[in-house]
Amino acid sequence: MNQRLASLLAEVFGLRQEQIVLTLTKDDVAVWDSLKQMDLVVSLEREFDLVLDIPDIVRMNSVSSIVETLALKGVDLGA
Amino acid sequence: MLILELDQSVALVTGGAKGLGFAIATYLAGKGSKVSVVDLDAEAIAALPPSMDGYVLDVTSRADAKTVVNEIIQRHGRIDILVNNAGVIFSEPFVNIMNPKGMMHDYERFRRSITANLDSVFIMTSSVVEKMVTLRTKGVVVSISSISACGNEGQTAYSAAKAGVNAMTRTWSKELGRMGIRCNAVAPGFIDTPSTRSALNESIIKHIQSNTPLRRLGHAEEVAQAVASVITNDFINGVVLDVNGGLTI
Repeated sequence: MNQRLASLLAEVFGLRQEQIVLTLTKDDVAVWDSLKQMDLVVSLEREFDLVLDIPDIVRMNSVSSIVETLALKGVDLGA
Repeated sequence: MLILELDQSVALVTGGAKGLGFAIATYLAGKGSKVSVVDLDAEAIAALPPSMDGYVLDVTSRADAKTVVNEIIQRHGRIDILVNNAGVIFSEPFVNIMNPKGMMHDYERFRRSITANLDSVFIMTSSVVEKMVTLRTKGVVVSISSISACGNEGQTAYSAAKAGVNAMTRTWSKELGRMGIRCNAVAPGFIDTPSTRSALNESIIKHIQSNTPLRRLGHAEEVAQAVASVITNDFINGVVLDVNGGLTI
């Protein structure tokens, strides 16, 4: 897991970094509601200097889908 | 620091073809904002100065509101500022002991007032904020509340609607702040407009003046200045700004 992304997700969702794994989904995180999704979007846009459109935002319902979305936006998260 | 510059902004003022709304629209246009006005009064829309775009709109119609908002977006690319001014003052006592066959406040009239003064703010704000979120516009919503939001005898529906506007303003400021969208309200007291002069007789106006620390009614431009203040100050969010000469102190 990319440390920059893991740190961001941990902060947004109030989790420890080691809890941020690819298999983590919206259903696993109690606070991950539509308002938290907006926090997530704003944080990702600021951190990676990109703009997410509505389909991107809807698609991001797990850590793996966030990684995929960022990759599609050209963000290099490394190995 | 992000500051919304009026001379680079696109504004939409509801109920903006006459009275207080027109004063707000005129003030914003005078500061260089590209102002679109919606109003139910087609004649007043037709009489707008050429510096403003006008649209005839019933702000309680969700479909029509979306259509007009889309037209403005197509023309200007975005909406930075929404001023929810449209509304209808309505007075009716909760109990009218002089009318024993219909003593209580009419429910249908209550609903109509709520629709005109509260639902309209919800409908217009949801139409505009949807575009702000989609287009990532760091915009501002300013809703015109009233001194009546504190509760004013003889105005059950109007007071409830304006209190609702205040509550929606604070709620939206919390929800939308993360997207850079601010929501504020301006609550005028008694403003010296033709509608105030026609609604209140001279003795009541004198009574209001004597109870107001500044000993006068407000001017429409002073309300417009307050609207511009909460638009341009980027750290004002979730505020209901009283503009009443200190009447509620």
